[in-house]
Amino acid sequence: MLKRLLHEPLLHFTLAAVAIFVAYGLLASSSERRADDIVVSAPKIEQLAAVFAKTWQRPPSPEELKGLIDAYVKEEIDVREALALGLDQGDTVIRRRLQQKIQFMTDAGADAATPTDAELQAYLDTHPEKFETAAEAGFEQIFLNPAQRGEAIDADATVILAKLEADPALEAATLGDASLLPAEMPPTDIASIGNIFGPEFAAAVSAAPAGRWIGPVASSFGLHLVRVSEHRAGRLPALGDVRDAVLREWTNDRRQAIADERLDALLKRYRIVIEAPEEGASP
Amino acid sequence: MLTSRLYLAALISTALGGVALAQDVEVSPANNSFGKAEYSPYLDQGFPDRVYFGDTHLHTSYSTDAGMVGNRLGPEEAYRFARGEEVISSTGLRARLQRPLDFLVVSDHAENLGLAPMIEESNPDLLRTEFGRLVHGLVKSGKGPEAYEAWIGRMNALDDPMKGNEAVTRTMWERETEIAEKYNQPGKFSAIIGYEWTSMPDGNNLHRNVIFRDGKAKADEVIPFSQYDSVDPEDLWTWMADYEKKTGGRVLAIPHGGNLSLGLMFDDVTLTTKKPIDKEYAERRMRWEPLYEVTQMKGDGEAHAALSPNDEFTGFETWDRGSFGAGVHTADMLPREYAREALKRGLKYEQDIGVNPFKFGMVGSTDAHTSLATTTEDNFFGKVVPLEPSAGYDRFFEVVAGRLSGEDPRRKSFAWQTSASGLAAVWATDNTREALWDAMSRKEVYATTGTRLMVRVFAGYDFEENDVQRHDFAAYGYRNGVPMGGDLAAAPEGKVPSLMIRALRDADGANLDRIQVVKGWLDAKGDLQEKVYDVAWSGDRKTGADGKLPAVGNTVDAKDASYTNTIGAPLLTGYWKDPDFDPKERAFYYVRAIEIPTPRWTTYDAKFFKTTPPPEAPVSIQDRAYTSPIWYTP
Repeated sequence: MLKRLLHEPLLHFTLAAVAIFVAYGLLASSSERRADDIVVSAPKIEQLAAVFAKTWQRPPSPEELKGLIDAYVKEEIDVREALALGLDQGDTVIRRRLQQKIQFMTDAGADAATPTDAELQAYLDTHPEKFETAAEAGFEQIFLNPAQRGEAIDADATVILAKLEADPALEAATLGDASLLPAEMPPTDIASIGNIFGPEFAAAVSAAPAGRWIGPVASSFGLHLVRVSEHRAGRLPALGDVRDAVLREWTNDRRQAIADERLDALLKRYRIVIEAPEEGASP
Repeated sequence: MLTSRLYLAALISTALGGVALAQDVEVSPANNSFGKAEYSPYLDQGFPDRVYFGDTHLHTSYSTDAGMVGNRLGPEEAYRFARGEEVISSTGLRARLQRPLDFLVVSDHAENLGLAPMIEESNPDLLRTEFGRLVHGLVKSGKGPEAYEAWIGRMNALDDPMKGNEAVTRTMWERETEIAEKYNQPGKFSAIIGYEWTSMPDGNNLHRNVIFRDGKAKADEVIPFSQYDSVDPEDLWTWMADYEKKTGGRVLAIPHGGNLSLGLMFDDVTLTTKKPIDKEYAERRMRWEPLYEVTQMKGDGEAHAALSPNDEFTGFETWDRGSFGAGVHTADMLPREYAREALKRGLKYEQDIGVNPFKFGMVGSTDAHTSLATTTEDNFFGKVVPLEPSAGYDRFFEVVAGRLSGEDPRRKSFAWQTSASGLAAVWATDNTREALWDAMSRKEVYATTGTRLMVRVFAGYDFEENDVQRHDFAAYGYRNGVPMGGDLAAAPEGKVPSLMIRALRDADGANLDRIQVVKGWLDAKGDLQEKVYDVAWSGDRKTGADGKLPAVGNTVDAKDASYTNTIGAPLLTGYWKDPDFDPKERAFYYVRAIEIPTPRWTTYDAKFFKTTPPPEAPVSIQDRAYTSPIWYTP
């Protein structure tokens, strides 16, 4: 009889309730605030006023502020009553919202975290490919149009090259054919050169010695004579020059990493049982 | 040498001054050092030397008609993709551009900006509103389509479901501008701030993209003006004027989709009061809307076969079957929907009311709702997420426009008709927000239907045939004429306008078929005329007895979805002198450069997915560029 009584859930409930009441009585006597107090604190009022101001672009009037506070008190009462009745249980929207909030905490963790310069420097060092300025080349080019020159184009290229070699001060732009390709490019990264002239031409420019005319170099448009004015090796910029970009990428990575870590850590605390429907069973 | 360079500089500023002053735009960079001897002759050219390609019209998940229709990629992913990174599309496909874009305007719809991401994150501000709770509940319980219906119903009724909750929009707008700021990299990639004002009276398309010259600080001083505020563009212009006054910033708007407007885009009357458009209307329209988006995924709007029966290159990616409303499209609406006709009618207006209301330059853009600015036939990610590449039925046969116009399929536009288009090409002094915006403002821009062919034109009275071969082509062009988008000064006695034109195909794109000049004019009898002239072409084709140049040919192998550059030319140069010039007649000239045929995206799809496009879908198309016009006014 007693044994059965000890297994009775009602008894557990009753005992728990008694315990809570006792604890509550102890706490209440030692504190001036009671659980059924609704305290609208000064920071809370400031927050209500701030939200109002963001919407209406002005602070609330005293009447409006009173309205905001009244609405907050009503909301608080309703929420407490709803929680007491267990209305939050099994509600998909609330479950999703809670999930969202906990994800937000991690996202906010990533967004709010202010990495030190040392951390950013370390990120820069370990992800150079994201920030490296590409190798650049500045050059002049003379375009020879196969449609205009036909079979003679190779011979023409040789002749013009010889002229240029003989007289480096020759005004190069006057020797070639019309195009919309720039005659001179300031130091530009190799990929961008490729976007305009095609990748094979860009590769040739990148390999050409600086300071003298070479060619002919083929592009998808025709032939070119090229004089590289300057090569600039690709380099990893100093943190100060790319701080914003490093911060952007660090935050992106960090957000992902924190989310992954959190899930990994939490997974360890749970035993996951997936009871798959039997094979052949209709879904 | 020094003297000539100084002389050149002075003349350039004068030559450009005519164009630029009217719009109060600085063309030359401020750091010129004229007067000081420098070795390099290319330092202070002060005129645009590069063309930059970008998209002024891209939607992300922040647009409610994208985010609630499956788009999970926000502005962040849109910029990353445009900058050349690989991105996983909303349907899980790996996506990447062949080459990065130079600039991007994320132009999300103003109407309930960011609703979908707010639902996704159960934004507390959103959940404070009744409508927010409704759509949130629907979406989170798996009833996304019902939530979308609930929203689009209010949108079409011009009944803002979030009225009085501007804070919600402000939050999302500030996020949008924040992200633009983060990806803007002057000199390398311009993340230009903008949004779309989605005016759609009765489902008819009067949309405008609003493009800011400014950064976040100024843009944040406003929240986007939406069609809930007004569907009348005149009210948008007032809002734009207020923005400039309030912030000291600059802003312009680009209308688009005239082909889906049932004749409202270039109407003869104002929208609300239905009064004939007058001088003040014309002045304001041109003050705020210097450009028109002439080609995009929902059809090409340069010209229509019914309006230009002698132009064999019309019919390109045409969408003329109706709008998004229940209205029926009729042929009499066409002149008020297509760019060439509007440009012509503008000349007549100028004569009648003193100002040309339709004196716009032209750009192309995508209007993609996938966050992926893809514009080439071989890499086309579709108009909206459900139409991303797949072997599914919808990819070709989903109804995109004309849903409400009854059962007749001839009033509907289908997904296979979607055009893999277009790009905005901008001749600018630098790749910065400011330089690109200034070039747009002075109309030194052109449209392409998705490829990156380069086109440059100058018009003047003293150009000679061989000037087009000059090594200082651009400097000479500015010195002695005006670029695309410009105005020719009155003709000196006995002089005739001539055009120098160069076009170069994309470095690894299709060869060029031909360069044409399109002339429109108002003749002595007051009738509007147009004529298309072939100016330069590949090979040794001869003009036939009918005055037409034979077609360039077609190397497209449909089964293999391939073509070869064995026909056409990589580079075409042309000189054209107006053979029918009358100094008393108003006119405009623009250049159309046409590529050789290449496989259409439906052909690439058929090969990759082994699907069958409908027989009406062209196997190949000829991509092209349309420059902004140059106007002649007596």
